[in-house]
Amino acid sequence: MEKIVVVNGIRTPFCKMGTDFNNLSAQELGRIALRELIERTPFELSELDEVIIGCVGQPADAANLARVVALLAGIPNEIPAFTVHRNCASGIEAAVQAAIKIRANEGTCYYVGGTESMSNIPFYLKKSLQDQLALLQRAKTMGQRLKIMVPFFKRYLNPMASLEIGLKLGLTDPVCGLNMGQTAEVLAKEFGITREEQDDFALLSHQRAIEGREVLKEEIVPVIPAPKFKKGVEFDNGPREGQSMEALQKLRPFFDRRSGSVTAGNSSQITDGAAMLLIMTESKARDLNLEILGTIKEFAFSGVEPNRMGIGPAHAIPKVLKKANMKLSDIEAVEINEAFAAQVLACLRALESDQFTKDFGCEGYTGVIDPSILNVNGGAIALGHPVGTTGARLILTMLKHLERKNLNTGLVSLCIGGGQGAAVILER
Amino acid sequence: MGLTYNEKNNVGVIVFDHDDSKVNILSSDVIKQLSAALDQLKDREDLTALLIVSMKKDVFIAGADIKEIEKIVEPDDGAKKAKAGQDVLNKIEELHFPTIAVIDGVALGGGCELALACDYRLATFNPKVRIGLPEVNLGFIPGFGGTYRLPRIVGLQEALKMILAGRPIDGAKALKIGLFDKIVTQKGLDQHIEEFVKDITEGKLKKSKYERRKKKKGFPGFLDHNPIGNRIVFDQSRKNVLKLTKGFYPAPLKAVDVVASNFYMDRKRGLALEARGFGELAVTDISKNLVYIFYLSEKYRKLSIKGTESIKPANITKCGVLGAGVMGGGIAQLLSSKGIWTRMKDISLDAIAKGFQAAGKVYTQAVKKRKLTKAVAAERMAHITGSLDYSGFANADYVIEAVVENMDIKKSVFKELSEKCSEHTILASNTSALSVTEMSLEVKDPSKVIGFHFFNPVHRMPLVEIITTAQTSNETLVTSLALVKRLGKTPIVVKDSPGFIVNRILLGYICEAGHILEETGELEEVDLVMTDFGMPMGPFLLSDEVGLDVGLKVMHILEESFGKRFKAASIFEKILETGKLGKKSGKGFYDHTIKDRQVNTEVWDLMDSQFTRLDKQECLDRLVLTMINEAAKCLEEKIVEDPGAIDVGMIFGTGFPPFKGGLLKYADSLGIAHVVDQLEKLQKELEAERFAPCQYLLNLKNQNKTFFAKD
Repeated sequence: MEKIVVVNGIRTPFCKMGTDFNNLSAQELGRIALRELIERTPFELSELDEVIIGCVGQPADAANLARVVALLAGIPNEIPAFTVHRNCASGIEAAVQAAIKIRANEGTCYYVGGTESMSNIPFYLKKSLQDQLALLQRAKTMGQRLKIMVPFFKRYLNPMASLEIGLKLGLTDPVCGLNMGQTAEVLAKEFGITREEQDDFALLSHQRAIEGREVLKEEIVPVIPAPKFKKGVEFDNGPREGQSMEALQKLRPFFDRRSGSVTAGNSSQITDGAAMLLIMTESKARDLNLEILGTIKEFAFSGVEPNRMGIGPAHAIPKVLKKANMKLSDIEAVEINEAFAAQVLACLRALESDQFTKDFGCEGYTGVIDPSILNVNGGAIALGHPVGTTGARLILTMLKHLERKNLNTGLVSLCIGGGQGAAVILER
Repeated sequence: MGLTYNEKNNVGVIVFDHDDSKVNILSSDVIKQLSAALDQLKDREDLTALLIVSMKKDVFIAGADIKEIEKIVEPDDGAKKAKAGQDVLNKIEELHFPTIAVIDGVALGGGCELALACDYRLATFNPKVRIGLPEVNLGFIPGFGGTYRLPRIVGLQEALKMILAGRPIDGAKALKIGLFDKIVTQKGLDQHIEEFVKDITEGKLKKSKYERRKKKKGFPGFLDHNPIGNRIVFDQSRKNVLKLTKGFYPAPLKAVDVVASNFYMDRKRGLALEARGFGELAVTDISKNLVYIFYLSEKYRKLSIKGTESIKPANITKCGVLGAGVMGGGIAQLLSSKGIWTRMKDISLDAIAKGFQAAGKVYTQAVKKRKLTKAVAAERMAHITGSLDYSGFANADYVIEAVVENMDIKKSVFKELSEKCSEHTILASNTSALSVTEMSLEVKDPSKVIGFHFFNPVHRMPLVEIITTAQTSNETLVTSLALVKRLGKTPIVVKDSPGFIVNRILLGYICEAGHILEETGELEEVDLVMTDFGMPMGPFLLSDEVGLDVGLKVMHILEESFGKRFKAASIFEKILETGKLGKKSGKGFYDHTIKDRQVNTEVWDLMDSQFTRLDKQECLDRLVLTMINEAAKCLEEKIVEDPGAIDVGMIFGTGFPPFKGGLLKYADSLGIAHVVDQLEKLQKELEAERFAPCQYLLNLKNQNKTFFAKD
């Protein structure tokens, strides 16, 4: 089977919601990243088969966002594009779709990636308010209008009472009714992960991200955000320079105020950003004389209970290893997305556990992941988690890491809202 | 033959198809033919309708014959010519069966007026469809009934807007204001016409074009239909015209006056008034000058260089811009606005941010003025990216550098570009005065190097100076000219020489202004003399706008090459020493920080207080003759061959008043002998060698010639 290679990749800095990228839409962030990748890669766009982009909070004003991004970035009209949504793994899904298409001989070259502007996820009118507005429009006489409007104003004087926050809706599982943080609490309690362990993990993430700043810069295109174009943004703004245990310990549990341990400090940040990759067959890359960043060797997805969604990686990792006929010990570097410290730690525990291995029949594909090879340049707790983007970011970060450290094999994995896990094996 | 007539199913068709021309023109001959054709038709009882159509692609009728108008020297003669046209168009109006103009392209001036004389105007969705009365741009007013009929068809306000701005409108707008009765697809046009005629004969459309117009309601209705409202419209129009033209252009004012009277007259008197107005204006120098410039700018807009006609310009899809500041950003904006992918490179993110700001500002303005939709503006803006390195330059087709005006930096930039770009990339410098030849020595292939000099602000100034070196290849030149045209600018091609044409002439003038200031202590007065002359701003305000540092740098370059006549008056250096750079730093000759800009009082402290009185005429002579003398030197040195190029350069590059006909046309109108004598007088009186008339001028005088040969 022909090797599927990543030729090049780039991402925008990741900026906390409501900060530097507040005025940039998801399509604009995607456009910036994709255009920059085009500029930096000596690749004729006529060779391209399709553009595939993941996005979770797909903007109402950019239906089929991938097509919008592609056109704005200068992809020729003739080349199609589609948007994918697998929640937090949307960015990985985009890459995987390209890989599947290549394996099916559908094409050879794909621009893929993810983009997310969590700053621009809208508020919605509550259904009851919508109904009343509809009634008001249909009302004929002044009397009828008043009859609707008086209680209407009384009730909706507080605007928040009439609105639903899109972001909150998106981060709540509609099947089990828990929001993502609450699912992390479920795992923390199940695996007995203490607050201190979580805060330790969070602190390390910040420290590594601060230390890795210059390293991460290699994968970042500086962005000068519209509409004012005031100053360039070169670095992720999530990592905290002086993050300390004391500061982390001061925070109150956010999702379970009385008995919980998951805080804003040991959860991923809500962030804006985009990442793009150029994926093609190895032979095509050689034909075009392109340097190769790395190979997508294998990928797998698996499902878990929605209220334990954070455990997804523990299931996806053995699955992908089995598919690739590899052992966990073959892996030289690992990225597990830090949706929540509790959830990553739970995955590590599960993979170490004989019981887990036996229960799920994955003998030979589990084991211990050395913390020194896990998320070495920090993770989403420090860098942020623009949901649709992260998957593509992890592939990019891992491939750059392998190149830098001259390693051969890396593994990236994410938990996925709704109860899934994704894992991809990358090689150089 | 200009037109033919045929008939089908009792529908007559007059077909305009001017021989040996891409367009139809209403020349005297054609009007006579039209008259004869109409005379044949007027008693025909069997015809149900008359169509007027054009066989030319994308053209209905492009207007009257400007060459004929140019030759009019007597107002009465002009009025008579107008009346002849009016009489024939009246014949169309008087036919007892419906008349329909079928407009599938441009209908301008006389072409528009012919369509107005018809009962109906049927247009197509052809994007080339434009209709309007551009006469005021040539210094006269519509003469074939346009001022009489247009306000009656589209309403007073819309009509005045069209007549006074002289800007044609597109089909959608024409339909909206009722100028077109219907727009149909080009495909199946014959059938559409048939149906339209059927609708008319079946009485679905009112016959009288004036009654067909929808009456406006509310305040717009008051303005259009009420005599008091009309008064407000006329007064407001006059005010706006005066503000825009500063009173230098009589045609739009005359147009308001004519409409203000003939709006209330019957056709006979109304048209007679219009014809008189046309005749009076057509004979003015201003009109002659504007017509001259019309021809000149048409020539340069489509400029092609002899011997290069067979060379195909290279395709340009991607450009690099080096130096992202205000200029680089402006250039990037212009390129992106034409759908060209543009990569800006600079040495810091802050510098790139400045470029984005400059480009973004132009787009924001365009959206505000509704020239672009938000979506289109964003899509165009997305064509610009920034970079700190040369990534993305390898596949650039054309690179324009706009880095600081420093030869060493330019040289190193060209050297780098030569290494980073591909063999086919053309490397252009936006330098305003430095030697392009010297820069070209740094690259592998100097035939790919050319000068591409924009004027600031890039999106507004219509001129680009193309500077060729001895090595510049014809392919490079042809591609560059094609790019200028694609960007909607007008090129002049000049040989590489310090300051090229425009800045060299302009700086001579600014230099002289500095001397006058030091001698007389008058600053605003000097500026006023030049704005009264018609320049958009005086020399000192211009210095402030350009930036004293920038201007002085160019002056030094010129002084180095041409000697003492470009030695800057010490006042420039002195102001610069105080850290005032002009508008960008808040103060220069003027204080720009206060609302109504005033003279920067610090200037007085920097000068001796021994002043002589300012003589306005002498001041004007010194400034304008300096420019003429310098321009003649440029011709003498063969930096350009055609004096027309200098006029184009000065009008489009510096705003030299078009109604004066351009710098050298103006010199001709002064008389070469007068110019030479005055220069010699100044040379003697002021004991200043810089006024010595150059050999080129002396030759012209001795041979009794002018810059432009007379026909």
